[in-house]
Amino acid sequence: MTDANTPAIACRNLWQVFGPGADKALTDALSRSGNDADKAAADLREKGFIPAVQDANFEVEEGELFVIMGLSGSGKSTLIRCISQLLPGTGGEIRVDGENVIGASKKALTDLRRKKLGMVFQHFGLFPHMTVAENVAYPLRVQGVGKKERLARAQEVISLVGLEGRENSFPRQLSGGQRQRVGIARSLAVNPDIWFLDEPFSALDPLIRRQLQDEFLRIQATLKKSIVFITHDIQEALKLADRIAIMRDGKIVQIGTPTDIVLRPVDDYVREFSKDVAKGQHAKVASVMRDDDQRGPDDPGLTTAMTLDAALAHCMELYEPVPVRDADGKIVGTVHPSDLAAALQVDDA
Amino acid sequence: MTAVTDIPAYHARLTAGAQAALITVIVGAVCLALEGVAPWLVTWPAAWELPATQWVGAFLDWFLNGIKPAMRLFSDLMTYPMDAANYVLGNTPWPILIGLVTALGWYLGGLPMAALGFFGLSFVLASGYWAESMNTLALVAVSVPVALIMGGAIGILANEVPRVKTFVQAVLDIMQTVPTFAYLTPLLLLFGFGPVVGLIASAIYAAPPMARNVMLGLERVEPEIKEAAIMSGGTRLQQLFQVEIPAATTQIMVGVNQCLMAALSMVIIAAVIGGFNDIGWEVLLTMRKAQFGESLMAGLVIVVFAVVIDRMSGTLATERKRHDSRVVWAVLGFAVLFTAAFWAWLPNPSDLTVLDPMAGAIDSGLTAFTQANGPWLDALKNNSLFYVLLPLRIGLDQAVLPFTWGFQWTPAMSWGLFAAAAAIALLMAWRGHLTGGLVALILIGMLETGIANLPWPFVLTAAAALGWVAGGWRLAALSVGLLCTILVSGLWERALLSLYLSGAAVFFCAVLGGLIGLASAVWSPVWALVRPVCDMLQTIPLFVFLIPVLMVFQIGEFSAFLAICAYAIVPMIRYTRHGLVNTPEEMMEAAISSGATEWQIMRDVRAPYAAPTILLGLNQTILYAFAMLVIAALIGTTGLGQSIYLALGQADVGLGISAGAAMAILALIADRMVQGFAEERRKALGL
Repeated sequence: MTDANTPAIACRNLWQVFGPGADKALTDALSRSGNDADKAAADLREKGFIPAVQDANFEVEEGELFVIMGLSGSGKSTLIRCISQLLPGTGGEIRVDGENVIGASKKALTDLRRKKLGMVFQHFGLFPHMTVAENVAYPLRVQGVGKKERLARAQEVISLVGLEGRENSFPRQLSGGQRQRVGIARSLAVNPDIWFLDEPFSALDPLIRRQLQDEFLRIQATLKKSIVFITHDIQEALKLADRIAIMRDGKIVQIGTPTDIVLRPVDDYVREFSKDVAKGQHAKVASVMRDDDQRGPDDPGLTTAMTLDAALAHCMELYEPVPVRDADGKIVGTVHPSDLAAALQVDDA
Repeated sequence: MTAVTDIPAYHARLTAGAQAALITVIVGAVCLALEGVAPWLVTWPAAWELPATQWVGAFLDWFLNGIKPAMRLFSDLMTYPMDAANYVLGNTPWPILIGLVTALGWYLGGLPMAALGFFGLSFVLASGYWAESMNTLALVAVSVPVALIMGGAIGILANEVPRVKTFVQAVLDIMQTVPTFAYLTPLLLLFGFGPVVGLIASAIYAAPPMARNVMLGLERVEPEIKEAAIMSGGTRLQQLFQVEIPAATTQIMVGVNQCLMAALSMVIIAAVIGGFNDIGWEVLLTMRKAQFGESLMAGLVIVVFAVVIDRMSGTLATERKRHDSRVVWAVLGFAVLFTAAFWAWLPNPSDLTVLDPMAGAIDSGLTAFTQANGPWLDALKNNSLFYVLLPLRIGLDQAVLPFTWGFQWTPAMSWGLFAAAAAIALLMAWRGHLTGGLVALILIGMLETGIANLPWPFVLTAAAALGWVAGGWRLAALSVGLLCTILVSGLWERALLSLYLSGAAVFFCAVLGGLIGLASAVWSPVWALVRPVCDMLQTIPLFVFLIPVLMVFQIGEFSAFLAICAYAIVPMIRYTRHGLVNTPEEMMEAAISSGATEWQIMRDVRAPYAAPTILLGLNQTILYAFAMLVIAALIGTTGLGQSIYLALGQADVGLGISAGAAMAILALIADRMVQGFAEERRKALGL
């Protein structure tokens, strides 16, 4: 395996079960059910345990923005706490840059957090007795970085999130949006490779939320972190994600690109989420493109990266198949206008 | 719909209560009926008592002697900081100390606190008790850091090691119920007479509030803040000391405040063992000599210290503004200059007699007052005793004499009373209040018999019944088990006497305090008046309550009763008001828009909603009453409190600890039962 192929995070058969003696209960339940995750989970529930995460399998590639989405109580917060090892994890393995962190020593975990991980919290988790600058510099302070040096670095990240001038304020003197900027700055202070964000914008007003989402995308465009992002908001997930994992009752029910989730939901639960979504704004022409060259004379100028909405607007009067071009202008496939319309109507079925 | 589903549940609960009450009635009736045939049913025969007190004494003697050398070493070590504190406080010129306290007040709370510090200490200076006060302050100054460190360490330990936590919590619970005097006897054996006993007693007594608040504070730090510290890569020590403890500062400062107050209170109580010329001793001495003017003055000095310490340390727990530190330096500079300039003319504070005329005036005024109002005061005291306290204690059958009530109680009257009670019970049962009727029957029966003369099987059954209704069979078993230890150890009669006095006081406090709380909730002017009084009553060290009641009513049970009530009524008032005032606005609006009148809202919405809170207030009132009961032994109560006090005088560690434990058991059972009822109410309301 070369470095380039090693995923930033890889989870294999990851379980988090709550209850006294959960480790043994999980092993027993799995051996009884013959490693059938669903049966084992039902078995555990019956015995009064809570399988908050059951048999999670996924990988996050380097530089990928991986969103985990689900309703409250679906286990998404538990899952991110497993990966960041705030919870121990009951079974399975988590590899961060190829190293298994389940069962790693305290020292190894502390080291990992000091070098590689950053985390942003829903309710910010700011230290109330420290100023903005001290909050942001704290991850450096615990490593023994000198005061001058760490405050200089803090200044950099504070500028990055646009909080210049508030360095000496205390958290209680800031608005919600500003507080989360501090949280983001603090999580970036050590320049981590992997960035965890646990519903970072859920506690904010809609307007501020959109503003911070845009800024988050701007920051990510320059920093290119590997990200695990938790949200319960499908719009947010579709807007930000490279790939989305949808969780329900502790189980990951579907992993896919935003287009996959919107156009090809695996079950009613996922369909229910995407129901309210204006599909045409998220799905791309590539998703309905055919690989043949039987097309009519018209060329309305569709490209693979066009959204369905835009494509449909171009094909309003057309009934014959039309060509699709890639970014370089080369024809790569065909789209039937009827497919476009059909793709936008999956729901009525 | 809800109403329909609720009714069966209500009936089911009613029958549980009715069953318990019915069994209690039957046991009580059987005991009364067989009183002549089997006297052992009423009074536990002395022959069946185990010499538990002696066993406890022997064991403790052995144990204490074992650890004596180590403890003596500790006490020898403690004398150094004590001597140092004494020397510093005793030899610092008074203008500098006043300046220091004023400056501290300014730093902590601006002008109001500075003024409080200045006038408070000026009063102490003028009272002529400066030297005694400094001795007390020196004890507090040494015991508080010890208590803070011990309490903080215990709190942190409990937070770090979850397995220890439940154990620590249980120990803290027990320590809260063990009466203060009970600590003193074993300490006396360990350390001998002298200030170190007061020091250590106060450190032990003051550590639990600190530990509790540290635990609470650390527990309440937002989980995300803890997680942020972990994710920042802090080691456990870094997380704890750089994030969690600073984030819990507010709660920890509440602990510091309570710790200071507890230490002061205990230092003053510890004066009863004497040996160090402090302000508590002064109160005791003047009280014994019936110099009430002086004793009130000395008491006021204690109150001043309590208020200054409480209010100043209370500002630590609130978010405070930074006050100009230049003022601090200016005040200190002025104090030093003043001292230097008037060095030769500074009066010795002990020679100050500015307020002596006042003490004299109080004395003579008091004499005049008691003489002028003698008949009226005597009538109040005697009527309360004859018509309320005495019947409660020994029952109508013994309390009603020609001397007290003007006629002799006869067995026929007992039968008549029982018949009337049965009629009331039947009537109430017929109207659908079976449990209420049975309880009325029990209460009237108790009034006839007297609490001190209750047959032991009846008390055990009643405790079991109450425990069962309040918290299931586990609480019932716990109550009976613990009460049985009192029964066989020969402390039963004294326990009943304590139960009677505290019960009477609690009942009085519940009714009066509840009414005052209600009035405060309804009319805000009342609360504006009641609140400072409550604040004051909660700040004053227990000991000081004895002075005014003693001044007016002399030694005796009635004075003790009043002192207990004065102290124990406060939580009842506060919680009642708090519960009633905090009814959610939405509920009130719903009731108003349904067209309910003020009175209907109070009866149907606010009172039921406040019930769990009021029950917690009752719980606190019970604990306060037990705490004061022991102190009140100084001015004449019978029962366990007296035993503890006597044990202290005789250095009888077995009796002291056993009686203290019995007291703690009573308080613990009462506490658990009321909490059980409160919990049930809370659940019923879905809170």
